[in-house]
Amino acid sequence: MSAQVAVFWLLAFVSLLGALGVVVARNPIHSAIGLVVSFINVAAIYLIARAEFLAVVQVIVYAGAVIVLIVFVTMLVHPDDLPEFHGRRPLRVVTGLVLGLALLAEVSAAILARQLAGAPGPWTDQAVAAVGGNTRALGQVLYSDYMLAIQLTALLLLAATIGAIALARPEAVSERLAAARRVLTISLAHPRGVDQPELPPALPGAGDGRFKPAGGGRPIVLARSADEFTEQPAWGEWRTR
Amino acid sequence: MSELSATHFLLLSAALFIIGMVGVLTRRNVLVIFMCIELMLNAVNVSLIGFAYELHQLTGQVFALFVIAIAAAEAVVGLGIVMALTRRADTVDIDELRQLRE
Repeated sequence: MSAQVAVFWLLAFVSLLGALGVVVARNPIHSAIGLVVSFINVAAIYLIARAEFLAVVQVIVYAGAVIVLIVFVTMLVHPDDLPEFHGRRPLRVVTGLVLGLALLAEVSAAILARQLAGAPGPWTDQAVAAVGGNTRALGQVLYSDYMLAIQLTALLLLAATIGAIALARPEAVSERLAAARRVLTISLAHPRGVDQPELPPALPGAGDGRFKPAGGGRPIVLARSADEFTEQPAWGEWRTR
Repeated sequence: MSELSATHFLLLSAALFIIGMVGVLTRRNVLVIFMCIELMLNAVNVSLIGFAYELHQLTGQVFALFVIAIAAAEAVVGLGIVMALTRRADTVDIDELRQLRE
């Protein structure tokens, strides 16, 4: 057994442990951590298979974006509502395990008895190196043979974006307006936020001593409505004589 | 099996896919089921890249790239559905979501 195979089995073992953690963990955040472990180990396996670009994409898209999305949505779900804290369904677990083990045995037998061997393609290590690496070779193939497919993928991503906005926006019109207002009242150092049309009274000159600028940086004022802002003016204190 | 071949990748892919499948079958939380679907898509990528490695082809890697793009789109829409679910039904338990049956 070569060192390559040993490293492969090690990475595969940790990746499978992570995957098992996803299924077994009760808390969805622990599941997400298991998912990250599995994804990163699979990315390392891609490196062994000399798919460097895909390894990077795997880390960025899966271990980065998708996990962040999942964790955000987990945060929005009320923790008391998590179903597994209210008991499991033993019959379902046993059925799933038996079905899974049976399928695993079947598929493993099929894989180990595999006789098919395709003709090797043109992209040997030397050919890939001659083009200038895995990413360039992938780009050549992608933008010559799969031009239409990549444009359709772009269209799909656009459709997914629109669908996500349509799904995530509030259903009632009044809630939508309130949500838009919530976004607009994020204010930088303005105690009444952008809801107040008029500016504060004209600032006096710096030298007349009535205006004391707020120390440090400008605070960020976050509020759900304009009435929730703090009483203390963010641009400084006005002293009345 | 002494040299790294597609067989290794296929075995890992099968194991990952079946772990994900068991998760989809046994869990009740929509979020965890969603993560298991991601796991299954990832398993498919492993087998595609294993074949690309053995056959000195780049087609497998190109297809894995498309699978990743589609998985990202699916993640966005799926999590949007989860958010809509929690807003409407206030639950992520799939056993309680049976409005279509009743």
